[in-house]
Amino acid sequence: MPPSATQSSLLSPQMLAQLERLELVSRKIFRGRLKGERRSRRKGQSVEFADFRNYVQGDDLRFVDWNLYARLDKLFLKLFLEEEDLHFYTLIDTSASMTFGQPSKLQHAKQLAAALGFIGLCRADRVKIETLGTSLAKPGPTLRGRASLWRMLEYLDGIDEPNNVPLAAGVKDFCVRNSGQGILVLITDLMDKAGYESALRFLLARQMDVYVIHVLSQEEMHPDLKGDLKLVDCEDQDVAEITVSRPLLDRYRKTLAAFIDGAREYCTRRGMSYLMTTTDTPVETLVLNYLRQRGLVR
Amino acid sequence: MNLINALSPLQWAFLLAIPPAILSLYFLKLKRHPVEVPSTYLWSRTIEDLHVNSIWQKLRQSLLLFLQILVVLLAILACLRPGFRGTELIGDRFIFLIDNSASMSAKDLGRTRLSVAQERVIELINQMKSSDVAMVISFSDVQRVEQSFTHSRSQLRQRVNRIQPTQRRTDLSDALRAAAGLANPGRTSEVGTNDYQVAEALPATLYIYSDGGVPKVPDFSLGNLEPIYVAIGDEQAENVGIVSFSTEQNPEKPTQMQAYARLENSGTEPVTVEVELTLDGEFLDAAEVQIPARAVRSISSGSGADSTNAEADGEGAGDGGDVERKDDLPGAAGVQFELEHPGHAVLQLTINQQDDFPLDNTAYSVVNRPRQANVLLVTPGNESLELALSTSEAARIALVEIEPPSVLTTSAHQASAEAGIYDLIIYDQCVPVRMPAANTLIIGDIPPVDGWSKGERVNRPVIIDTDPAHPMTQLVQMGDVKYNYDGFPIDGPTGAATLMDADVGPIMVIAARAGFEDVALGIDIVGKYADGNVGPKTEWPIRRSFPVFMMNTVRYLGGARLSYSTESHQPGTAVKIRSSLPVEQLHVTSPIGNETTLDREAQNSFVYSETDHVGVYETKEGRGREIAQRFAVNMFSSRESDLRPEPNIVLGYELVDGQSASEPARKELWKWLLIIALSVLVFEWYVYNRRVYL
Repeated sequence: MPPSATQSSLLSPQMLAQLERLELVSRKIFRGRLKGERRSRRKGQSVEFADFRNYVQGDDLRFVDWNLYARLDKLFLKLFLEEEDLHFYTLIDTSASMTFGQPSKLQHAKQLAAALGFIGLCRADRVKIETLGTSLAKPGPTLRGRASLWRMLEYLDGIDEPNNVPLAAGVKDFCVRNSGQGILVLITDLMDKAGYESALRFLLARQMDVYVIHVLSQEEMHPDLKGDLKLVDCEDQDVAEITVSRPLLDRYRKTLAAFIDGAREYCTRRGMSYLMTTTDTPVETLVLNYLRQRGLVR
Repeated sequence: MNLINALSPLQWAFLLAIPPAILSLYFLKLKRHPVEVPSTYLWSRTIEDLHVNSIWQKLRQSLLLFLQILVVLLAILACLRPGFRGTELIGDRFIFLIDNSASMSAKDLGRTRLSVAQERVIELINQMKSSDVAMVISFSDVQRVEQSFTHSRSQLRQRVNRIQPTQRRTDLSDALRAAAGLANPGRTSEVGTNDYQVAEALPATLYIYSDGGVPKVPDFSLGNLEPIYVAIGDEQAENVGIVSFSTEQNPEKPTQMQAYARLENSGTEPVTVEVELTLDGEFLDAAEVQIPARAVRSISSGSGADSTNAEADGEGAGDGGDVERKDDLPGAAGVQFELEHPGHAVLQLTINQQDDFPLDNTAYSVVNRPRQANVLLVTPGNESLELALSTSEAARIALVEIEPPSVLTTSAHQASAEAGIYDLIIYDQCVPVRMPAANTLIIGDIPPVDGWSKGERVNRPVIIDTDPAHPMTQLVQMGDVKYNYDGFPIDGPTGAATLMDADVGPIMVIAARAGFEDVALGIDIVGKYADGNVGPKTEWPIRRSFPVFMMNTVRYLGGARLSYSTESHQPGTAVKIRSSLPVEQLHVTSPIGNETTLDREAQNSFVYSETDHVGVYETKEGRGREIAQRFAVNMFSSRESDLRPEPNIVLGYELVDGQSASEPARKELWKWLLIIALSVLVFEWYVYNRRVYL
């Protein structure tokens, strides 16, 4: 067990033991760069038989099934399944709004990223964790193998400075730099005044298997506010003046529910998986129950 | 529409400072507490409707301001007490006659009629201008000037509120005369000049608040009074009351008594009520009585009936000369109970049904022990007199003592005679030294007091006439008394009445003496003849009229009370009580527990006038602890029991129609203004709380 796992607050040893047994599942089969543990759509060199096909000129004679040629006097090529690695990306929203909540939404996002990343590392997948607005000069590490766990945790622990980047700009930046296909888990609160739709559209265009994990804090779900207030947005210092009343709170809850429903519908319609979670939901529960049900892990 | 200022200048200053204060508070922007939130994204979307139209935003703020200012303005207006008059008060002098008779205690309007009348009068008093004057008179069968003419509205209100209900009957005439005193001053005239008014007439408006159960007021001229009659009471008021209740000894069975009661139903539906008879509080008997509804009935009266008051019916007048009068009368029914003679007891009859007027649901009758008369016969010997006073009937009604004339000079006799132990002293062939404190019959002489004088004795006077109406000489037929030896005419003092006339002049005279009555008879029954022999001097004792006369004497002058039941008195009437013992003082306890001590008046009688409450009054004599007598005071007034308010009343020669229940009164608006202000305040609160939706 790497020493960093016990030092980091992100993952507990018990949780690591539970996560070890899991693996990441992609609904799509993507082309990996390196040979991995996953079957590829590509036929290649593995021990797992896939199919026969007629020999055509130029085929590698090493794959001709000579036994069949002896019986049928025809040349057939034996095809094997190729086993590949999986590209697993985690994109964390680190805007100032993510620092709210007890524990904070950012902490929750980091724990979730660590848990999913560890699963990927255990299965020799290519795990890459980035935050929105990661500069080109200091990209997030690309990790493979269980031994990289400490590097991953070190990187995640290092994320603490809020970085207010518009969601769409951050996602676009990410997509430009990471051209590979695979699974993308976007952990965000979707609180972008420009809307989340354009950001998600970029991900769709990459043909990625996208999971949107929507993290909200308790104070967003059930605001504990009273009296005449001037609400100040922590990101853009925008001000909203309200007088808290029961009708206003009811209306807020309706708006929130509509917002969540809208995001869920947007994602579902476009083949993206959407999961809403709050910061008080333990990460274990989230990974072992909810994400399992959604089919991200197995 | 007019206004009454309800606040002092200081209070006004404070109140008027509120609207500018509200305005200035609006200028001071509401200080909001800043709170940092993850994102105002959702909040902005929540309240984004508010920002859709900034003009409406300003309107919304000014709407709140407008509403708050409106609340304060309404409150200010309410403090000005705006109001309007339903009807203008007529004139500047008002006389309020408020009926507080028994029927005004009826609760057919939810509370007593009197309190309704008081409220109406106070409403009118509130309308008075400061220059107006008014007076308040309450009346039942007597009037009482509660407040003479004054400008002070508060004093008038206070006096009106002080009027208490009574249990008396209604009689408007006294009150009208008191009210007319100033409006119609008397006139005087001198010989040779025209008559002129002694004072200037001051016309006034007369408001009569009554349920109208008043007898007609004849011989009254309204003159300068402008009457307005306000009928108080529910037209549909229903009531069943006892209008008479009496007990009599059963003439056939002396050990039994009969109780009779008459009940009246003033409602428009026939009713069946249960009446309960109790004896000294213990249940004795009950009966169910069906009483018909009120109806228009014809009353036929003789042709000599007072045709001015009777509304002659065409058919009735045509046949037989009888005048038929149609009147809307309450239904009536009687009930009778037979009971064993209770002795000394109180019978109570109760209607077991709650109605608006409980006062007439209970009636009392008192059965007292018969009281025997104390009679002293002072005679040297008179067989016929003694015989007449020793009959069984005489023994039943009187205790007769016989003494010789020599007793008259003893101090013991004089003391007891002056103490009033005897009800009647008969002096035969003698006269008292001093007239006793008792009624007297002096035979063959006259009382030794001033005013009496007798003429010369004449032989064989012939009795011509007797007074058949006087109780003393009722049924006394003197036609067969032909022989009297001698006699003398008697001249009584002023006010004396002749009971028996003879050819020589009045031969039997009755005269009052300080509450007692003396009868002098100018013929001897037994007397001394000129030759010195003593013997009968008239044939009267052998005639039937003699014992009849003697019994009349014992009954009338002795004051014997034979009937077991005493008569019932009506509230407010004076009751004359005769004590059975010669006591100086009598204590009367009223049904509500008030004890009154009465001093003796003439003839061992006491006059009690505080009969204001219905019930049984108890008397104790002297220092005695035992109840000597009881008497009952009952409502027994068909007029008071009939709760239907009269639509009009007759005052003198004028028919005054009742006014509707809605009375001219100042209609105050401040209550409504405050209610509107409160509603506006609630609306303002709603707008403030729900403003996100606006």
